[in-house]
Amino acid sequence: MAVIENNVGAYPVSPHANRGGLKAGQSRMGLLLLLPAAIAFSAVILYPFLSALGLSLFEYTVEMMEPRYIGFENFAKIASDPDVWAAFWTTAVYVTLTTLGTLVAGLGWALIMNQPFAGRGVLRSLSLLPWVLPSTVSAFIWGWIFNSRYGVLNAFLMEFGIIDFPRAWLSTPEGAMLAVVLTKIWLSIPLFMSFFLAGLQNLDKEQIDAARVDGAGNWAVLRDHILPHLRPVLIIVVVLGVIGNLQQFDTIYALTGGGPVRATTVLSVEVYRRAFEQWDIGFASAVGVLWVASLLPPAFLYLRMLVKGN
Amino acid sequence: MFDLSSRQAKFVFFLALIVIGFFLFFPLYWLVISSLKANAELYQVVPTPFPTMPSLQHFVTALTTGKLPMYLTNSLITSTCSAALVTLLALYAGFSFAKYRYIGRQPVMLFMLSAQMFPFGLLLISIYPLMSEIGLLDTRPGLILSYIVFALPVSTYMLYSYFSQVPDELIDAARADGASDLRIFHTIVIPISIPPIVTVFLYSFMWSWNDLLYSMTLIVSEDKRTIGPGLLLTYLNEVNSDWGGAMAASLIASAPIVVAFMFLQRYFIQGVTAGAVK
Repeated sequence: MAVIENNVGAYPVSPHANRGGLKAGQSRMGLLLLLPAAIAFSAVILYPFLSALGLSLFEYTVEMMEPRYIGFENFAKIASDPDVWAAFWTTAVYVTLTTLGTLVAGLGWALIMNQPFAGRGVLRSLSLLPWVLPSTVSAFIWGWIFNSRYGVLNAFLMEFGIIDFPRAWLSTPEGAMLAVVLTKIWLSIPLFMSFFLAGLQNLDKEQIDAARVDGAGNWAVLRDHILPHLRPVLIIVVVLGVIGNLQQFDTIYALTGGGPVRATTVLSVEVYRRAFEQWDIGFASAVGVLWVASLLPPAFLYLRMLVKGN
Repeated sequence: MFDLSSRQAKFVFFLALIVIGFFLFFPLYWLVISSLKANAELYQVVPTPFPTMPSLQHFVTALTTGKLPMYLTNSLITSTCSAALVTLLALYAGFSFAKYRYIGRQPVMLFMLSAQMFPFGLLLISIYPLMSEIGLLDTRPGLILSYIVFALPVSTYMLYSYFSQVPDELIDAARADGASDLRIFHTIVIPISIPPIVTVFLYSFMWSWNDLLYSMTLIVSEDKRTIGPGLLLTYLNEVNSDWGGAMAASLIASAPIVVAFMFLQRYFIQGVTAGAVK
């Protein structure tokens, strides 16, 4: 024990050294603690990831016992496959609409929830609910709202005279896209709101009061003070939103199954179908690799911000 | 924040409140209302805003005739086990990242975190044959292990952020008293870290409880099916759609996670937004 005490005393007590936590020579212990998570991570995340990257170079279908190396043939097939191109396009539309929609609604809702009024606390708590519901449940709710015969959306629109006969929303490409996009926006508002509210907490109120004395109106306060202050949060929310929306599968699959025909077949649905409905593992992996490639720019931004944050 | 003394400002504020609020809450309201309507009232072209004759029939049917209780039990087992597993792994990894210095610490941590961006669907392509090879396809342990994918990276990061704030003096003092590292961690650090640990547990529980993709792919037998695919296959198949039943079952399936969340939301939000907002 004396040895340890000596060690502790022997180190120069600079605040910087102390930030290192447990002292040097402890790295073996650190690695040991990391080991279980590292093994689990390698087994279910890293290995499958690398393996999927590798499989993109193989032909591997349900009739084959062993995968056969074919180089970049899968990618050549993708290049001439209009369905995959369409999936990329659909994904781009879906990600753009969901991210923009959630950004506007989430920011708006956060600003409203930041304003003091009676019942705000309850409203804030309740507005987190869409976040925690199982994805199948969200799909059920919106599927029921969009139902062609008994859906409340048709009833509303007819009541207000916007449409004069009920629409089969989920059977038209635009209607189905609208439904999956609204579902996802609805799901993501709570998370976006939470980030924005956290960002609004340390807003400099005196600065705003000073601006008000100088005659700034609400709009000027929003434009010149609140939005610039939220810029870092805004960026991280957009990046996280894009990453999440690029990955979205459950609600789309449960709501439309990627249809009608292929109108809502985003990349996640495309990869799932190729792999687990057509059992064309090699081709699915190749599509997946391109999917990862589309995730790289936002992922890179996100990591860079985390490093800066540290 | 905003000055709402003028009539115009008030109008814009309340208009936004009503529009976004309606979008957020109406679907929830409609879920509850629809679950309470008997079929005769449910299937009307012009829906009633409140149930004229509230009925618990759909709840009774869901709980007594269907397989919902079995799906719930299965989800409870797999989600609890995987959440416990993730929490345990993330605890030690987070502590290691926060309080030890070794070569490669930062790159390894960033790499683990970036894995959050590997599409779950892509990983599944290789997890499926992997589970099949080691005989865990269509088993609960197989699904539990696969669920690590969802939450391990972020959970580790959340605990890392928390442990980084634990003062080193606390640890150094215990070390000077001769306590071993593991002992320090178990008897000093963990007891003061209950809120973030609960957050991480709930976070990973939520992911598994809400999952559809992995469960419907890795589980084939009906007796091990979880609520995600269970609900989908029971209520919205090609032949008939039982919307009242779907709404009631949805409420039952959401209840556990909603209750847990309402109690713990404060910690939860702090945990999830930590690091992003300084």
